[in-house]
Amino acid sequence: MKVMVAVKRVVDFNVKVRCKADGSGVELANVKMAMNPFDEIAVEEAVRLKEAGIASEVVAVSLGAKPCEETLRTALAMGADRAILVESDSELQPLAVAKLLMAVVEREAPQLVLLGKQAIDDDANQTGQMLAALLGWPQGTFASRVELSEGQLKVTREIDGGLETLALALPAIVTADLRLNEPRYVKLPSIMAAKKKPLAVITPQDLGVDVAPRLKQLKVAEPAPRRAGGQVGSVAELVSKLKNEAKVF
Amino acid sequence: MSERLGITEDDRAIADAVARFAQNELAPQAHIVDRDEIRTTRYASQLAELGVMGMNLPERWGGIGASPAALILSIAEIAKACGSTASMIGAHYLATDSILIGGDDMIRDRYLPDAASGAKLGAFALTEPGAGSNPAGMITRAEREGEHYRLRGVKQFISNADDAGFIVVYAKTDPNAGTRGISAFVVDRHTPGITVSAPEKLMGIRGAPAHEVTFDCLVPVANRLGEEGAGFYTAMKVLDNSRLDVAATSLGLSEAALAAAVAWAKERKVGGEPLANKQGIQWMLADMKLRLEAAWLITLQAAAKRGAGEKFSDYSAMAKLCASEAAGFITDTALQVHGGYGFTRELPLERLVRDARILRIYEGASEIQRTVIARAMVA
Repeated sequence: MKVMVAVKRVVDFNVKVRCKADGSGVELANVKMAMNPFDEIAVEEAVRLKEAGIASEVVAVSLGAKPCEETLRTALAMGADRAILVESDSELQPLAVAKLLMAVVEREAPQLVLLGKQAIDDDANQTGQMLAALLGWPQGTFASRVELSEGQLKVTREIDGGLETLALALPAIVTADLRLNEPRYVKLPSIMAAKKKPLAVITPQDLGVDVAPRLKQLKVAEPAPRRAGGQVGSVAELVSKLKNEAKVF
Repeated sequence: MSERLGITEDDRAIADAVARFAQNELAPQAHIVDRDEIRTTRYASQLAELGVMGMNLPERWGGIGASPAALILSIAEIAKACGSTASMIGAHYLATDSILIGGDDMIRDRYLPDAASGAKLGAFALTEPGAGSNPAGMITRAEREGEHYRLRGVKQFISNADDAGFIVVYAKTDPNAGTRGISAFVVDRHTPGITVSAPEKLMGIRGAPAHEVTFDCLVPVANRLGEEGAGFYTAMKVLDNSRLDVAATSLGLSEAALAAAVAWAKERKVGGEPLANKQGIQWMLADMKLRLEAAWLITLQAAAKRGAGEKFSDYSAMAKLCASEAAGFITDTALQVHGGYGFTRELPLERLVRDARILRIYEGASEIQRTVIARAMVA
């Protein structure tokens, strides 16, 4: 079974994000970038499927500017067999990404597409669902466990009330939640070996996809700073403040 | 992110992978390692699995084919998380570099793959109670007895000795030939006649214990590294490499201290405004940053020379001197920025100060580095 994994290059989770002064977006100059952590979990799952003898090939796909190649090299170092970059300097919104991924799926014909449940930059949480809808494939989102038995994919997903288990017919889309696995430490020799693995670069034009944004981002602003708290002298004062200032009851 | 001069994408990818391990596994334990003197040799197998224990070696013997710059960055990342661990790795590299530089392929094949895989930890025994900055003054003897040498003597401050699989020992094969009478041997740790004493009580790097080791044992002739009398030359070449490792450790500790100082200065309020608003504090931060970046540049310059196969003894000495002295200044100033809290054991500043102190002493004290630098000009 061929498995495809989508990976996004995002601001590293350790970085304290700042807005550009003109409110046009997030400051990316001189900021450390890394693979979206949920995508890393998706890659890890794909590699584990391969190590278990279930997946025959793992193909990592990223979409965006040239530096996304670094993110793909990380996926290759983790154990993906080859990589595809759909190179584009334009802004790619979830619908455009889903359409591009659909076009890659049509070329590659994987049985399973794994994605992170969302990217930690825009937190859109849309791409996996949109891709499933466009392809007309079953989807298992927020997966915390994935098992293949008798040609069916069993996906355990975290929902408000607890855990739900779905049986999906292949081919299918699965998006990874935090507890699906703990990604491995990439071994240093694998980083060197990843340089020799194939990485193909194509463009949205090659795939015949119109990636023009359908949504317009008006402004990006920092959250309002939290107001300082105060100390109260007694329970009576606390109750009075809750009642008269906070108006909680 | 903008990179320092000469660092490639590959170097960065390797350093990032090491940083991730170091921050997740080493950093949370560093204060406990220091407090309870826990041996960081416990991390050797995990570090070997990652690829760090053989990083100084060619691929043929288990290395990963990384550049000297990648090695520097990686050691710095480890030191940023735990100085003791960086020191433990440095001692291992001293041993394996000795075999790589001094030995032939036969002995390299016997020891280096196991050293890279974590199966065997290395230790390096040059210093003696009466021979530190003057290794030529060593009195440990290796006398030929048929197909063996009888090794007799005492070595001092030997890191990793107790947990080592092998110890590279430098000894006099000809006591009348000065530095040309020194030879190097690889000795299996569990050879009968080796006594490792209890670890020294150290001021810093308390997770990298140093021992006195007494030898009265037989070593096969096949375990000699190179020709008789070649040991001193080997040791000097090994130290050229290891001084870069010490420079890298200095950079890592300095990075940790400076980051802590900047965060504290922005957070801590004095008279209603952050410390960072005070010019006095800003100048301290500026001086720390200046010395850190200067040390980075000379260290990377030395690494580039090493990578190009040029002679780099003087640059290695300058890097070690510059970076270790900077680490002393930066860790001390970072503690000063923290005020009374910096002096408590609740914060890592006092540990960083103690860990950094050895860097101006081992692998050649600052005074010796000046001698090496001067000799390259006037000799």
